[in-house]
Formats: sequence, structure tokens, C-alpha cells
Amino acid sequence: MEHPILFISFILEKLGLPIPHGPVGDTLLAKIVSPHLTYTWLVMAFLIIVPKLTMGKMEMIPGKGQNFWEMIIGGLEGFMAENMGEEGARMMFPMLTTFAFYILTANMIGLMPGFMSPTSNINITLGCTLIVFTTTHILGLKFHGVKYIKHFMGPIPWLIPLMFPIEVISHLARILSLSIRLFGNIMAKETLLGILFLLAGAFFAPLPILFLGVFVSIVQALVFVLLSILYFSGSMEHAH
Amino acid sequence: MSESRKELMRLLGDFSTIGIALAASIFIGIGVGYFLDHKVFEGKTAPWFTLIFLGFGIAAGFKNLYMLTKRKDL
Repeated sequence: MEHPILFISFILEKLGLPIPHGPVGDTLLAKIVSPHLTYTWLVMAFLIIVPKLTMGKMEMIPGKGQNFWEMIIGGLEGFMAENMGEEGARMMFPMLTTFAFYILTANMIGLMPGFMSPTSNINITLGCTLIVFTTTHILGLKFHGVKYIKHFMGPIPWLIPLMFPIEVISHLARILSLSIRLFGNIMAKETLLGILFLLAGAFFAPLPILFLGVFVSIVQALVFVLLSILYFSGSMEHAH
Repeated sequence: MSESRKELMRLLGDFSTIGIALAASIFIGIGVGYFLDHKVFEGKTAPWFTLIFLGFGIAAGFKNLYMLTKRKDL
């Protein structure tokens, strides 16, 4: 379903760029200016500019802005340290925090009229998930070397031909479940908002879904980061 | 956030994955089997790899469930 209005696409179309009318365009230029990418750049710009503006100079006695950001960053770091240990938390902190902020902002931005969530397109969520998946196995190889393959073998030697495909399949299923959960939740929210807005927007019909949308956005961002942490810590610990 | 609330969010994240992980394992199993049958062996082994890997997929899904019941921190 098409969005009612997407203001970035509207402006770009007035500038003469080929905005695709389906989910993804045909030519390279149409792919670059498709809505989920332009709104990703909007989110990126937001995440770069707003902390710069609100934080001000770093001081010993924090002001309002610095206090706010320190609380969020400190909370996230404590949460990671609880689940994957100090060392792992320090190593993976930049990536996971980027995911947390990006996914949270990307989910929330779709609640405003004229914006869309980039995460309601499966290409974006699949990209995030593939990064997490690759990092999981790189971490495993880094911490265990060749012995990492023991993670896929199971405990009993003569069951290896049975356990190996099962473990590989359950690792591959993580890609599917992680990407489709985020994509499905956010796309459902966007579509429902669009339909309710078109049907009875004048009577505030989308209001309850807007409220649920805030909840779903926060929970899905949290779940994505939490599952990434669990996968990372699973690949770092010793094989059972 | 208080301690019990943090724990609640953690469990919410964990258990919201049960259903989708089971379904995803089965679909990945079918997908791998179908790929082996129709792309690698070009239909000569037609239903067999699909069926075998469907079995692996179902086993993987239930193994995930079993591992969740074995967790120490619950």
C-alpha cells in the first residue's frame, strides 16, 4: 500500500528525480531515491545533528543535555555489561548502541504524518540482521579459533551427522526470525495507520494505534538489541 | 528502570522469539532442501532432499524449544 504523503519523496519528485511508485525502483537512481533510503538518511542526519546540538561542550558537571545522553548511554552500557560481561560489552558497545538508536528512531519516525519508517522495508531489516549474523560468527572465530566448530557439533560424538545440520539450520533461522519480526511489526503498524487515517482520520481513529505504535517501536528496538546481545554472548562463551 | 522491570523486558524479548523461531527453522529447512533438489541436482532427486531437510528443520525448531526449557536462570 502506498503512503498518503511522503514529503521527502514529494520534494525530490518536484526536483525531477525518478521516485519509484512500487517498493523498489528499476534503475540505480530510482533505487537510491526510494523512500526507505531517503528516510534512512533523514534518520542518520537526525542522529548526527541532534546529539551535537543538545549535548553542547562536555563538562565535568553535566548540564541538562549532557545529563540526558549520559543517562541513556550509561543505561545501555550497564544493560550490555550485565548480559555479555565487561569485555564483550566494551567491544560490541558502539555497534549495538548504533543499532539501538537507529532502529528506535527509525521506528518512531513513522508515527508522524509525512514520514515513513525505513524499517518497514525488509531490505533495511535484513541488512541489519546480516550484520549481526556475520559479527556473531566472526566473534566466535575470534574467541575460539578453529574450535568454534564445536558449537555446531552437540555433546555426543556419534550424533554429529544429525546435530550439525540442525545447528546450522537453527543459526540460519535466526536471520529469518530477527529480520521478519522487526519488519512485520513495523510494516503492520504503518499499514494499519495508513488505512485508519484514510478511513476515519477526521474522527481520530488512528489514535489508539499511534499509542500502540510507540510501545511497539520501543519494544522492537529493545528486542533487536537484546537478541543481538544474546547471540553475541552465546558465540563468545564455551561450547556446552 | 527497576530490577524486576528490566528482568521482565529481558524475558519478554526471549519468549517473544519462541513461535517465530520455530516457524523460521522449518522454512529454512524446506528452503535448503528445495535448493538442493532443484538447483544443485536439477530435479533428479526431487522430493527426497526437501523431505529430509524438512525433518532437520522441524528437529531444529524443537531443539530450540528444548534448549529454552533447559535454561538455568529461569
